[in-house]
Amino acid sequence: MKCAETMEPEITARTPHKNMVRIPTGLLGFEQIKDYVLTTNPDEEPFAWLHVEGNSALAFVVIDPFVVLPSYHPDIPKADVEFLQLSESKDALLLGIVSINGDVPPTVNLKGPIVINRHTHVGKQVIITNAAEYSVKHPLPVAAE
Amino acid sequence: MLILSRKIGESIVIDGRIHVKVMRVEGDVVKLGIEAPSEIPVHRQEVYEEIQRNNRQALTKPSTPLPKLPKLLPKLANGAPKK
Repeated sequence: MKCAETMEPEITARTPHKNMVRIPTGLLGFEQIKDYVLTTNPDEEPFAWLHVEGNSALAFVVIDPFVVLPSYHPDIPKADVEFLQLSESKDALLLGIVSINGDVPPTVNLKGPIVINRHTHVGKQVIITNAAEYSVKHPLPVAAE
Repeated sequence: MLILSRKIGESIVIDGRIHVKVMRVEGDVVKLGIEAPSEIPVHRQEVYEEIQRNNRQALTKPSTPLPKLPKLLPKLANGAPKK
C-alpha cells in the first residue's frame, strides 16, 4: 500500500485530469495488468476512460453505474470493503465497464463494477453479493437519432 | 483434486467454517446448501466466467467513438454511491 502523502488528490468524476489507479488483483481475465490511468473529460461525460498504463492502445470505457440506473444498489462484499480500506460509502468511486461493440447496442456491466478508493486510488473489480439481480450487459439508454 | 462421496443430507466442512451440504439430487442436478461467514463470497463459477468474457469483449481502443446518451439522463454531482 502506498503512503497517502504520495497520492494525487481525491478522485471525483469531475476531476478534469488523469488519475493513476492501482488494481492489485487486476480485472477478471486481465489479472496481470495492475496499473491504469482514469481519464475524465467534461466533453465525454458521463463516460470516462480507464487506460492501461504503459499501453496507449488499450482502454476500457467506464461509466458511473448510478447514472445509468439510479436505483442500483450494489452490495459490496465485506472482504472487498476491507481490502479497499473503505470506511464509508462516499470513499468509493464505482465504475461500470461499458461494452461498445459495433452494431450491438452498448451495455454496462452491473454485476462486476470496479470499486476504487478515492483517497488511496486502489481499486478492485468486485462481484457484488447481489450479482444475481443485475446483468453484465445492462443496456445503456442510447439517445434516439 | 480431492474427491469425496456424500449422501443426501451429508456435508463437508472447509476451514472449519464453510459448510457445504447435499440437499437434494434430482436427475443430473445436485442442490447444495452452503453456509459460510458473510465475508466469504460464494458465486456460481459462471459468474466469474461471464465477467471475464465481458471484460475481454469490453477492452477497446482509445479512439472508439462513445455512444450518445439522452440529455435527460440525471447526472450526479460526483458519482458518489448512494446507500
